[in-house]
Amino acid sequence: MKPVMTFALMTLRNLLRRRTIWGIIIVILIALFGIGQIPSYGVSIEGRFILDFGLFGLEIGALLLAIGLASNIYPRDREQKTVMPIIAVPLSRGQYLMGRFVGASIVEAAAMLMGCIGLMIILLMNGHAIPVDMLPATGLLLVEGWFLLAVVFFFSFWTSPPLNAPLTVLLFIVSQMSVSGFIKLFPQAPGLMRTLRLLLPHMDVFHIKDPIAHGMDIPGLYFLLAIFYGLAYMAFMLSVALAVFRSRDLK
Amino acid sequence: MKLTAVILITAVLLSLACKADYDIKEVAPPEHLGLEHHHEHDETDHEHEAETVELGSVHDESHEHDVSEISGSNRHVHDAGERSHCTGWFFNQPWAASFIWGKMVRDAVILLVLSAVILFVSGYRRKHQ
Repeated sequence: MKPVMTFALMTLRNLLRRRTIWGIIIVILIALFGIGQIPSYGVSIEGRFILDFGLFGLEIGALLLAIGLASNIYPRDREQKTVMPIIAVPLSRGQYLMGRFVGASIVEAAAMLMGCIGLMIILLMNGHAIPVDMLPATGLLLVEGWFLLAVVFFFSFWTSPPLNAPLTVLLFIVSQMSVSGFIKLFPQAPGLMRTLRLLLPHMDVFHIKDPIAHGMDIPGLYFLLAIFYGLAYMAFMLSVALAVFRSRDLK
Repeated sequence: MKLTAVILITAVLLSLACKADYDIKEVAPPEHLGLEHHHEHDETDHEHEAETVELGSVHDESHEHDVSEISGSNRHVHDAGERSHCTGWFFNQPWAASFIWGKMVRDAVILLVLSAVILFVSGYRRKHQ
């Protein structure tokens, strides 16, 4: 465990030195600020719109961060030939993946927390109350972000860097669809589409912005179940990524 | 031998998991969809409306197609926070459908076991390469 944590902290320092991450965080904060500047035109439920759009912005931010953080880590290590000495002696391939993943997920968590605090400040500046479930809602979006991070790692081992981002975005989009909606994409083969949909996660599990924006209570048990579901999918994607990485010949 | 056992366990788990029974609109019980509610509209209701119009009878649920009733005194109003033909999408989300939560747990457990199986098989293959 200690080698993984040491390598994760090393990854964290490397990522924080990169300008891409700071650029994405600044874009997220500017987008949130922009949402707060939309005039209400006298509509009394303006806070709902800010909250709804703000949480949606955080979700898109989680996707962009996952791509920005993880898509270049392994290709860069391979190109600079640093991956070979790392996995030759001190770390196994599994420890390499876990170290890189933990480092990137800490950065993603910090960025999401910053986004959440930014949204809270914007709500307060516009004279709206902060919902009680705001932090848990951001927590679920963070779990979704970690899952996407695992997906990006999988694609970085499996495919070329230019294909990584489009494939992740495609998976993000189709994972938002219901089973019936997915079948409508190709209604000629409903059986095949159903089977394909089975492989994809149900991202709607992580979306609770609608009830929060309308002031509805969400059972605490649901948060735990959704986090468990998200972490299980993340573990599955990481294990698939590791299986692909183990089969790679790095010479 | 170990590898065969692992593949067999995986096949059994996949056969359990391979059920597209997650779509809330498909698997929701009637009480969740509010089908017994008199305001609920679906395609069947619309067909029913067409039949009653043909028969010349008065149908008291044709409000959503009558523009004069949208803003007039007969306008159609639902209680806030209740399921209706307009808010069905809102309540067809996992947080509102507790009957789906068990399936979330089932899928999560199967995914975790599959992860362990994949790790074991990939490690086994790497060791014997």
